[in-house]
Amino acid sequence: MNIELTDLTRRFGRTYAVAGVSMEAGPGVFGLLGPNGAGKTSLLRMMATVLPPTSGRMRLLGRDPGSHGPRREIRRRLGYLPQNLGYYPGFTVAEFVEYFALLKDMPPGRVPRAVAAAVEQVGLGDKAKAKLRTLSGGMLRRAGIAQAIVNDPELLLLDEPTAGLDPEQRVAFRAILRGLGERATVVVSTHLVEDVGAACSQVALMDAGKVVFDGTPGELIARGEGSGAAGDAPLERGYSAVLAAARSVPATRSAAGTQRGPETWA
Amino acid sequence: MTGEGMDWTGSGSPSDVDLGRVWTGVAAEVWRRRPGPAERLAARLLRSPGLARALVTTPSLLLGWVIATVVVLAAGAAVTRSTGTPWVALFAPAVAGAGIAYAYGPGIDPTWELSQSMAVSDRMVLLVRALAVFGLNAAAGLVATAASGAAAAVTFGWLVPMTAVCALALAAATVSRSANVGVAAGMSGWAITVMAGQASAGRLTAAITDSSLVLPYLAFAACCGAVAWYATRIPRGAS
Repeated sequence: MNIELTDLTRRFGRTYAVAGVSMEAGPGVFGLLGPNGAGKTSLLRMMATVLPPTSGRMRLLGRDPGSHGPRREIRRRLGYLPQNLGYYPGFTVAEFVEYFALLKDMPPGRVPRAVAAAVEQVGLGDKAKAKLRTLSGGMLRRAGIAQAIVNDPELLLLDEPTAGLDPEQRVAFRAILRGLGERATVVVSTHLVEDVGAACSQVALMDAGKVVFDGTPGELIARGEGSGAAGDAPLERGYSAVLAAARSVPATRSAAGTQRGPETWA
Repeated sequence: MTGEGMDWTGSGSPSDVDLGRVWTGVAAEVWRRRPGPAERLAARLLRSPGLARALVTTPSLLLGWVIATVVVLAAGAAVTRSTGTPWVALFAPAVAGAGIAYAYGPGIDPTWELSQSMAVSDRMVLLVRALAVFGLNAAAGLVATAASGAAAAVTFGWLVPMTAVCALALAAATVSRSANVGVAAGMSGWAITVMAGQASAGRLTAAITDSSLVLPYLAFAACCGAVAWYATRIPRGAS
């Protein structure tokens, strides 16, 4: 398993952003769905080793990120696209991707070819020498995806990767995801249910810091059948049905009945 | 047959060529960035191309900032020559403190969050950038004080206070995660010290020339350095 989380929590003050999440994931594309404030970004930041958990156990790529050496090894094999991508406006696309390739400790001799491959993969070949400040939001997002995949990561964490992409780009991006998911674990946090249906083999739905559903897109669709839940598409109806069920039970229990928040959860 | 192992003798057919792979190789050469001499030297000294690249992107080492620093110190040297008051020595610690505070961190470095997930430690990036900013400011300040015709005690006297001001600015910036707070702490700390020196000794330069202050400055710098080190530790968290 590339991701092993056991009763993971993250607290900010008295609020639990992540309240006892347990999950496992191997190679494949893993969708992380949920409303705003569900804890998706905090969970992703913990898996990106940017944010330490408050409690619980986490193993990534078979290593403990709490120790310096293993954490560095994880980071060499990690790709991460944060929700708010910062960039140097004066860098070109190729320079931006190269910068992170170097910070990922890639062997310098491999960097130019890896940069070219990543830039081509996201369809920015004709903009490789363009300054980032001249790019549209969707192009910047693709540059962010390029830096995430430049090291051919074994664990790829993408926070709202399709935000700002037009429909054609989203279709192309899902194809990239499916390709990457054949050999790596790809976790995609998104609001867009159709992205999950098209690209993900497994999906988790978070609400109020907890995983309230963990299964395949087909199983999520099944939850919505005959439930009368709102939604234009089968996956949306499943999403709505699971959320409605989760919110109708006491706060210490999840809809699936398998996740529990800590006693102090507020 | 792929682009790497192409047979140019004509025995292979063109359809065997992996054009995508060939294009990637061509693009890699066309888009390849040639590092400047400073970056190549830094990569050799630091034994890390990533760290060297992070060093040359330091916000307070970019050309505009360096020019501003030189202008301030040159103006200080000119005023010092005309008034006799060692303004360069009084300005230099504050200028260096501001440079250190603006070396790295959230709000200053746009890629800060992403950099935290990288194999090259962000603490190492901060350390290398801070040392480079300190070195550059020390060199520029020494040239400016020497050019202003100041006495030897004044020419070198501000280096130790500068260390303390830089450490204070760094500690405040890392603890508060705000470069502006770091600059404010460094500048106000130095202003208070200079004014206290004038009040107690009757000389504006007492904070620079009083040798009895060297040890307290160094002790203070060490304490601030420890605070900055602690503030930038990577929390173990639960595992």
